[in-house]
Amino acid sequence: MTFVNVAASDQVAEGQIGAWEVEGQQVAVARVGGRVFAFSDICTHRGCTLSTGELDGTEIECECHGSVFSIETGAVVNPPATDPIATFSAREADGRIEVEV
Amino acid sequence: MVGASLTGASATAALRARGFDGRLILIGDDPLPPYERPGLSKAYLRGEEAVDDLFVREPGWWEAHEVETHFGERVHRVDPATSEVVLASGRPIAYDRALLATGVRNRHLEVPGIDLDNVLSLRTVPDCDAIRLAAASASRVVVVGMGFIGAEVTASLRTLGKEVAVVEVFETALFRILGAQIGRVLEAIHRDQGAELHFGDTVERFEGDGRVERVVTRGGLRLEADLVIVGVGTEPNAEVMHGVGLASNGGIAVDAGLATAFPGIFAAGDVATHAHPLFGPIRVEHFDNAIKMGTHVAGSMVGDATPFDDPHWFWSDQYDHQVQMGGVFLTDRMVLRGALADRRFCAFFLDETDVLRASVSIDWPRDVRRSLPLIGAVVDPASLADPDVDLRTLVPAEA
Repeated sequence: MTFVNVAASDQVAEGQIGAWEVEGQQVAVARVGGRVFAFSDICTHRGCTLSTGELDGTEIECECHGSVFSIETGAVVNPPATDPIATFSAREADGRIEVEV
Repeated sequence: MVGASLTGASATAALRARGFDGRLILIGDDPLPPYERPGLSKAYLRGEEAVDDLFVREPGWWEAHEVETHFGERVHRVDPATSEVVLASGRPIAYDRALLATGVRNRHLEVPGIDLDNVLSLRTVPDCDAIRLAAASASRVVVVGMGFIGAEVTASLRTLGKEVAVVEVFETALFRILGAQIGRVLEAIHRDQGAELHFGDTVERFEGDGRVERVVTRGGLRLEADLVIVGVGTEPNAEVMHGVGLASNGGIAVDAGLATAFPGIFAAGDVATHAHPLFGPIRVEHFDNAIKMGTHVAGSMVGDATPFDDPHWFWSDQYDHQVQMGGVFLTDRMVLRGALADRRFCAFFLDETDVLRASVSIDWPRDVRRSLPLIGAVVDPASLADPDVDLRTLVPAEA
């Protein structure tokens, strides 16, 4: 597991989500309260893209079928999804966002 | 739990999640553990999903959570006088609380030839398996009815490369739920995908020698077919009540908190005619409602009887397009974000006092979901029409 340079810090503004392919994985990065969170961009329910969904605090709602996940822990907050999403360690250094995959 | 449906399964799981540690008995006439049905007209029908992908919980979940399951067993009746559920086998099961989540069945089309081979309908996994098997060797399919099942099956079979003709009694696709204007957008999408659509017509009879060969309509069409799929609506499975406690629409009547008129008996999901605080008595057959009502009724069953007031929400995937709707009642006042002609829009339906009654989108899902807290509230039409206005900033005013 290594930290991979994903994006410039200013590419993810407060309350926004970006998505990148990192080492073959679809990773979403959101900024909440100044902190960056990285998580799988693929909903575990039916595979929709989470980064186009609705961010409410540290919860992301899938716009396809309404599943809600914690972007902090990956846990399912609301069905229909039953399986958690993967989350990744994320950090910022020198104006860059790095994600551990 | 009478009905191992999405609703029954959601209620059962919610009771355990609430810490209920008493006996839980889940009874369903389907031999499979509870599963989700949306894929049966879409990904599972197209062979893109396995049956394992459909289960509400992995099959071992029920046993692991000490749920006593009776899959493949039908309930004959619920007896409020003795507080017993009586199985079709005659075996009684006593209850302290009972949930009726028996769902709906497909309406039968009473026309000559309905019993011919390859005249099929869709509700269960075995129904879908039969359609997949028949479709594998079929080249031309007639779909009867263009509600959601008919429209989604048509899209799936066109995607698989089958010729599909549709016979629908109303003037356009999805007319009864989405109205004429949005129905016509979906109609155009289906025509562009090569579906042959016949509106304002109904089936007079099916013809064939053992197996269906053609569909003859009242309008005089003779449509060749080696497979027919009938999707002409549903009827609630309310027979367990033996004629008591029913609403005029045939569902099991429940109050705002999902209790029937009988002590200890609750109903939820497709079978329940619910005294909805916003919409009045209503019975809907939505996936999301099945989960939310099932989760809510778990609280009602253990004494937390708050009104269920979810504004209702559903989606439908057809080809590469996604339809979403929130709320219930379409009105004559439609305010648009985007354009119908672009086939990408969110339409808001207001009554004459600017109360938002429903939202419908094609490939514009975000604003339907953002509008859900506004359903039933007075909303400024100009703000709805302006795509730059974030709906979350519109505070609901008293209706």
